[in-house]
Amino acid sequence: MLKNHLKIAWRNLMKYKFISFINLFGLTIGLTCCLLIATYIIHELSYDKYNTNASRIYRVTRSFTTTEGNISLHLGTVAPPIGPLLKHDFPDVEQQTTLLGMGTAPLRYEDKKFNESNVCFADENLSKVFTMHMVTGNIKSLAEPFSALLTEAQAQKYFGNTNPMNKMIRLSNQVNFKVAGIYKAFPSNAHMHPDILLSFASLNDSTLYGAKNLQTNWFNNSFFTYLLLPENYPVKQMEARFPAFLDAHAPRSSTGMMPSKISKLYLQPLTSIHLTSHLDSEAEENGDIKRVYIFSVIALFILLIACINYMNLSTARSTLRAKEIGIRKVVGASKKELLLQFLSESVLICWMSLLLACILLKLGMPWLSKISGTDLSIGMLLKWQVLVPVLLTPFIVGVLAGLYPALFMAAFQPVKTLKGLFKAGSKSISFRQVLVVAQFAISIILIITTLVVYSQLRYMEKKSLGFDKSQVVTIPWNIAIGNRFEAMRNDLLQQQSIKDVCRASRIPSGRLLDNSNAATVGDSIRPVNLELKYVVADYHFIPTFGITMAAGRNFSRDYGTDSTAFIVNESAAQMIGWKTPEKAIGQRFKYGSTIGTIVGVMHDFNFESLHQKIQPLILIPTDGTAQPFNRIAIKVTGASSATAIAQIQSVWKHYLPDEPFDYNFLDERFSQLYEAERRQQTIFTLFSCIAIFIASLGLLGLSAFTITQRIKEIGVRKVLGADTGSIVLMLSKDFLKLVAIAAVVAFPVAWYAMYQWLQAFAYRIGMPWYVFIIAGVLAGLVALVTVGVQAAKAAMNNPVKSLRSE
Amino acid sequence: MIELAHISKWVNVGGNRTFILKDVNLSIKEGEFVSIMGPSGSGKSSLLNVIGMLDNADEGEYHFLGEAVHAMKEKQRTALYKQYIGFVFQAYHLIDELTVYENIETPLIYQNTKAAERKAIVADMLDRFQIVGKKDLFPSQLSGGQQQLVGIARALVAKPKLLLADEPTGNLNSKQGEEIMELFKKLNTEDGVTIIQVTHSEKNAEYGTRIIDLLDGRIVNS
Repeated sequence: MLKNHLKIAWRNLMKYKFISFINLFGLTIGLTCCLLIATYIIHELSYDKYNTNASRIYRVTRSFTTTEGNISLHLGTVAPPIGPLLKHDFPDVEQQTTLLGMGTAPLRYEDKKFNESNVCFADENLSKVFTMHMVTGNIKSLAEPFSALLTEAQAQKYFGNTNPMNKMIRLSNQVNFKVAGIYKAFPSNAHMHPDILLSFASLNDSTLYGAKNLQTNWFNNSFFTYLLLPENYPVKQMEARFPAFLDAHAPRSSTGMMPSKISKLYLQPLTSIHLTSHLDSEAEENGDIKRVYIFSVIALFILLIACINYMNLSTARSTLRAKEIGIRKVVGASKKELLLQFLSESVLICWMSLLLACILLKLGMPWLSKISGTDLSIGMLLKWQVLVPVLLTPFIVGVLAGLYPALFMAAFQPVKTLKGLFKAGSKSISFRQVLVVAQFAISIILIITTLVVYSQLRYMEKKSLGFDKSQVVTIPWNIAIGNRFEAMRNDLLQQQSIKDVCRASRIPSGRLLDNSNAATVGDSIRPVNLELKYVVADYHFIPTFGITMAAGRNFSRDYGTDSTAFIVNESAAQMIGWKTPEKAIGQRFKYGSTIGTIVGVMHDFNFESLHQKIQPLILIPTDGTAQPFNRIAIKVTGASSATAIAQIQSVWKHYLPDEPFDYNFLDERFSQLYEAERRQQTIFTLFSCIAIFIASLGLLGLSAFTITQRIKEIGVRKVLGADTGSIVLMLSKDFLKLVAIAAVVAFPVAWYAMYQWLQAFAYRIGMPWYVFIIAGVLAGLVALVTVGVQAAKAAMNNPVKSLRSE
Repeated sequence: MIELAHISKWVNVGGNRTFILKDVNLSIKEGEFVSIMGPSGSGKSSLLNVIGMLDNADEGEYHFLGEAVHAMKEKQRTALYKQYIGFVFQAYHLIDELTVYENIETPLIYQNTKAAERKAIVADMLDRFQIVGKKDLFPSQLSGGQQQLVGIARALVAKPKLLLADEPTGNLNSKQGEEIMELFKKLNTEDGVTIIQVTHSEKNAEYGTRIIDLLDGRIVNS
């Protein structure tokens, strides 16, 4: 029986080649999209699950609250004493490990020098919490000061084929570390990838951090802290005890507040970090559960469009098969057997599509890895949890797409079909129309989405940030520069292509995460209830970035007292309570432990990405630490950036002959902030093209069929004197009506979806109404061309032919 | 074998009831060869469809081999006619996508006959109708007479007790028509198949053992 069904299915496929092609093509693309996206989703969901104890690992995070109780900052990192104290106070904690990221640090072995961005201080408990594999050496060496572990790739990079064990590598041209082992790199689906581990014990050395500092510094929240808890541990109850824990150990705030009133600790499950954690400090840029949802919806949309094609074309074509169905019923086929026959046809075509999709998947994988920015491979699909659903897909899709046509056809009355009374499923037209509307609605939604994402991206790239981000080269600050900075700056300024040079603790395009206590100083010192972020900047910060002043002046050497001067931005001045920028000038102000004077108010500018609102900001000349600086920014002339880079490099070489030279452009750094949106745009563009293409293919098949059905009518109309234009219009009108309805359905959905999407940006475009018109017109045009070409062909036929064939 | 009592069938056209069959009473015994005659629109085909269970009467009782067909659900009716009735059509109604062999095989598939058994039965049928050489051809490659032979072979393959033929020779030339009629007669006398045929032709009607004349949905004589 089944063999028989498949045989018929195959012959039907071959007989109606054009329609079979549309179905096969559509379903193949639909399934390919689904498989590609499934691979991506599987990868996203797999983060950190490779750890044997994944479900028992938690990260400790810390938030800070304003006096109103709003969370102003939530960090994925905490202060150094917290980890060990938690282990001590909560005996249930099985293991605890702490890591400190180094940011970008120069590392050197003999003549090999690189700027490393994944250097971490880690303790020997790291492998007790996380699953790690040593190649040589022992993880326990992390307990010894000044030892280092490298990944295989790093070992190869520095030592080539020589044995790295016991060799000395030099960090920041300051401290030597002995290589004590090699470990397998963290897999791509880990939320962090330290590739050089330095022993945490080294931090006890005062040049690096200091033992006392490690035990008492509750303000430097930059330590990743992970706990291994027992199975099914009541995490909420543990969190409930954290306020008491903080009050017991942490010092009171400068205003005398209890520590639990200004900050909170949380436990974050390891496996939720990648997709749901978007804290103010993360080990790496995380994924986004929303993106996973969006991708899934798009994949299903495309598959749905392909299924609709199948449903539409099969039911439309059913008139051609009416006789066959009638005969089968007469010779004894039951409804069930006919259903099975039609379903085996749809399942067969789905199987063929799946096979083709697998081939496309193999070809498309590298490309998907690239646009999704993840490391994907087809191997991820080779496990039964994935294979079983994939192998079931043809059945599910086949039944989904085939059931309606099958039911529709199996219900034919044999007497009517055999007498030739059967009309082209007049009843089914309404449902077919609904399906076409659904297809075009989906296509229109995707087009609108693409255009809105494009508009927002363009807006972000073009928007004036309030300062000049062009022609600014940034290079890392190096502690070895130290006091020689002024000399180095002068040498740089000697170069004709360099206009200005400054150094700062943070530069625009980075985040603003540092803050301290602020207070106005009048008759008494009155604390300001404001999360005032600070940047340590030198006298040249403002001119280098082209920041304009609303009132007052820049820091200047002409005033001897500028070591205690402050510059704030307009937002800060306003929130502190100074009505106009001018009123702020000359005010006495206390920030941190320094009491000084406000000498200038800057116009507001976008320091961070446009996702973030402009924050109140204060520029301070120093924050008391010896090396507050992080980057050097150099304004160059527009003439030739290559020359400028060469000149900067030669000065760098002169001052820091042993340090690697790295640079980037400020506008590129800003551009990189929108990488995720750009990826989304690529994917939306691609998928909306695919969607509308498949939808129009379906429309092509459907209209071709409808026109064949009406060929006699067209002939009669022509004989009666209708011209080609009026016939094309008549035939196209029906389909255009459907597109119009689709647009009406799509607009509110797309509006709502994009409204939600835009909320993620503090600075965003208004919903561009013209995008809706463009999408509607575009869909209409595609439909018009698809139908119109065929209609024109039919209309230009000699009516004698079509009438004679009756 | 067939007992029709007060069978009526009608359509409602604009509030008026137009009868297709009106109060038809008919009894046909096993082994009969009945020809139904009458002008166009007299209800011949409708009567045949009611007898063949492809269509329902709106009124009246129909007993087939003692079973009350009018009271059955569609599923039971299908099971019944699948087992006992074969159909032959004026337009042959072969399935275009299937070969001669497969067309003949189809009813057996729907009766869940085993593959080996099917093969034997179909081979026997091909042999009997002398179309072995054409078994792998598709209907479009055959002449009208040959197609009708295949149609009859298909109708008979499941060994029905009753063969219903709706103008089986209507599309054939007279020589082909005669051959088919001879075949029917042989089937009736030698194999004991009960045959009911609808025909326009007096000559063809004469092959039967009994003629029923139909006019405006009523039996005029039988």
